[in-house]
Amino acid sequence: MSDQFGIKVEEIFNTMEERFRPEGAEGVDASYGYDIQGVGKWKLTVKDGQMKIEEADDLGDCVAVTITDADTFVGVNIGQVDAMKAFNSGKFKVDGDLGALGQTAKMFTKFVSGKKEMTVGDFIQDMFATLEERFQPKNAEGLDVTITYDIQGDGGGCWTATIKDGTCVLKEERIEKPTVRLEVGAADWVDVMLGKVDAMTLLSAGKAAIEGDSSLALKLGEIFSKYIAPGEMAEPEQELVRLKKVISVNHRFATGSVMGKFLQGLKNKKIIANKCPECGRLQLPPREVCAVCRVRVPGVVEVGPKGHITINDIAYYASPDPLTGETRETPYGSVNILLDGCKGNETFWHLLRRDQIFEVEESWNEKKGTRVRPVWAENRVGSIKDILYFEIDK
Amino acid sequence: MAKKKKNRNVAIVGVGQTQYSSHREDVNQPEMIHEAVSLALADAGITIDDVDAIVHGNMELFEMIHQPDLWHVLGTGGYGKDSFRITTGGTTGATLACAADNLVASEMYDVVMAVGFEKLQEGHTTGGITNMADPLWSRQLQTGALTGSTGYKMEKEFGEERANRAAMMYRIIMDKHACLNPNSHRSFGLDFDQMDDLMENSPRLVGDLRLIHMCSQSDGCCVVIFASEKKAKKMAKPPVWVRDHITVHREETFNIFGFDENYPVPMTHRFAAEQLFARNGIDSPVDYFDVFEMYDPSGWWGADWMREFFLFENDEHLKLIEEKEIMIDGKMPINPSGGVTAANPIGATALVRVAEAALQVRGDAGGHQIPRDVNHALASGFGGTMWTVLMMLERELNWQGV
Repeated sequence: MSDQFGIKVEEIFNTMEERFRPEGAEGVDASYGYDIQGVGKWKLTVKDGQMKIEEADDLGDCVAVTITDADTFVGVNIGQVDAMKAFNSGKFKVDGDLGALGQTAKMFTKFVSGKKEMTVGDFIQDMFATLEERFQPKNAEGLDVTITYDIQGDGGGCWTATIKDGTCVLKEERIEKPTVRLEVGAADWVDVMLGKVDAMTLLSAGKAAIEGDSSLALKLGEIFSKYIAPGEMAEPEQELVRLKKVISVNHRFATGSVMGKFLQGLKNKKIIANKCPECGRLQLPPREVCAVCRVRVPGVVEVGPKGHITINDIAYYASPDPLTGETRETPYGSVNILLDGCKGNETFWHLLRRDQIFEVEESWNEKKGTRVRPVWAENRVGSIKDILYFEIDK
Repeated sequence: MAKKKKNRNVAIVGVGQTQYSSHREDVNQPEMIHEAVSLALADAGITIDDVDAIVHGNMELFEMIHQPDLWHVLGTGGYGKDSFRITTGGTTGATLACAADNLVASEMYDVVMAVGFEKLQEGHTTGGITNMADPLWSRQLQTGALTGSTGYKMEKEFGEERANRAAMMYRIIMDKHACLNPNSHRSFGLDFDQMDDLMENSPRLVGDLRLIHMCSQSDGCCVVIFASEKKAKKMAKPPVWVRDHITVHREETFNIFGFDENYPVPMTHRFAAEQLFARNGIDSPVDYFDVFEMYDPSGWWGADWMREFFLFENDEHLKLIEEKEIMIDGKMPINPSGGVTAANPIGATALVRVAEAALQVRGDAGGHQIPRDVNHALASGFGGTMWTVLMMLERELNWQGV
């Protein structure tokens, strides 16, 4: 049971079959584990557009296991807890393939609370349990007041909220002469709080009474934010109108004579750099001037094409490429290579063959990284992509 | 490098910031900017009529709007005033502050308002950042702004365990600060006992750079008002003096890493700090400054860059982190605001560093005010493949002779 939201973890698993969308599971053949701490473990198996959910002790063969606590799991499923925030802060963990887990989102319709019948007493308890967190200090500036809620009948009780210096403290107690005292039946108060009945109607019908500062009673809707029953989504106050635009623009860039030579070189399976006549450093790709010495750099030098890796940045997360709209498969290796003929930091940036990214060594001081060689594209057009990637030079 | 010539003293007299958030769908861009403009004017106790000129900036192309400064006249109040648009990548906010200071110091304007904003949910941040790369070659290799190279360098130098712990400790401290700042976009409530767990389980982005280390994409606006000494002394709040600032750029450096001690890479952060402190007679920046608001895009960069800004040679920066001396009540508080991992409305981010440093000097930072006098503050901006801006702020006007 998730204490916070009044929904059992089991309810979410038990409703999976009725929420299953075979069209979202097309081509999926995998198992997913759920380790809900203090509650139990479940295994979801999806194959051929069918699914099975079962309690399981061993989640070893799952592509991804979600590890979290009951409150967070329920909260995320009913939309009351921000999944990214829970994920970032470590409350919601994933062991295994995060991308695969993402597929499960398409397989199920959203969980809607099984409309558990809350009693009047449940609602009253929940309303006062959440009163302090619904307090809006901005709307209570300068207030120094006490508000007594005298809730009568089954499930009722007496609570007093003390508001002072921008804070609100609620106690289950009756005090002498509060600033305002509300007297109302428990069932009626629940109806008011859920928006089914208007408080003025109750007052005029004599079903509720206000003693003391009645103007304060009218401000309660500002001093406290609206009560939202467990499992209900807060309704936005206004519908927001958003416009979506997609801009697609073609570009043409002049290479200039120096970069032109570099790109032409790639077409001919040659890697071209140039050397500053003042400081002697190589620039790769070649540049018109040395930015440090501010002098023109004449001529070109051929380097490589083999070299050794200085750094292998293994990217586990790829943003969509805005040039193509595509996302590279991860993980991939973004490498800097010190090509033969280059020294120090005169490295060349490219990609590493994907199945070798965990096999290479990087450089550090005198220690050299793994030797690699370029793999050239069949049809070369004068682009950095004329090299498909580098691979280990075995 | 010679000291900057200033015709007169300039002070920060007003600061306004919106709440930073992942989504500000309740307002459009001019409305969001107007929130911060109103707060800054109220803070200074002036009206828009008292403002002589506006400098306006954000990331180029991030919202795909041409001339946002024109559209935003509705929110900035720039109608009929001299306005300048500035966009220098990640450093935009810091450049806004430098430009506003220069405009007032030059005696051309008495009161200049710097407006930095971003509404990242409305555009495509990665699209914008990828357009930074040279279209002739590196744009086809780059996706986004992430690299694990700093982690690799620190691990090699200090060992995997120590480097990873320092970066995560730094990150957790930033989150603790973020929890004190009501404007934070992200404040998770992380605790030190989560360190091992986060080091193991926070998803990797690149190498040992993990999701938890990295800054967010935020919406928000920051406004800072600069005024001449004469005007500043008549304003509502005590002036915070702009002592000096420095901007250092170098060429695109996607392919330059300092992994060989025989071939050191001069880093713009260290170069800028050396120049700035030397010309102001500051021998030990870590002793001189009472607060440093650093542009720290990730826990790894924050931890590593402390070494460059404070001109440390060995592991002094790691010791400051390990001994928690960078916390709000420590010897060298860093980012009591929570820094860039707490909120990152990019075009505003570097201006937020200046704004927060000024609030600390004035004693007006509220829940994240450093619990002792703040007389000397440093703020940094970072952008591009390696650009640095540093600005020094002072409580007293007693350093001209230095």
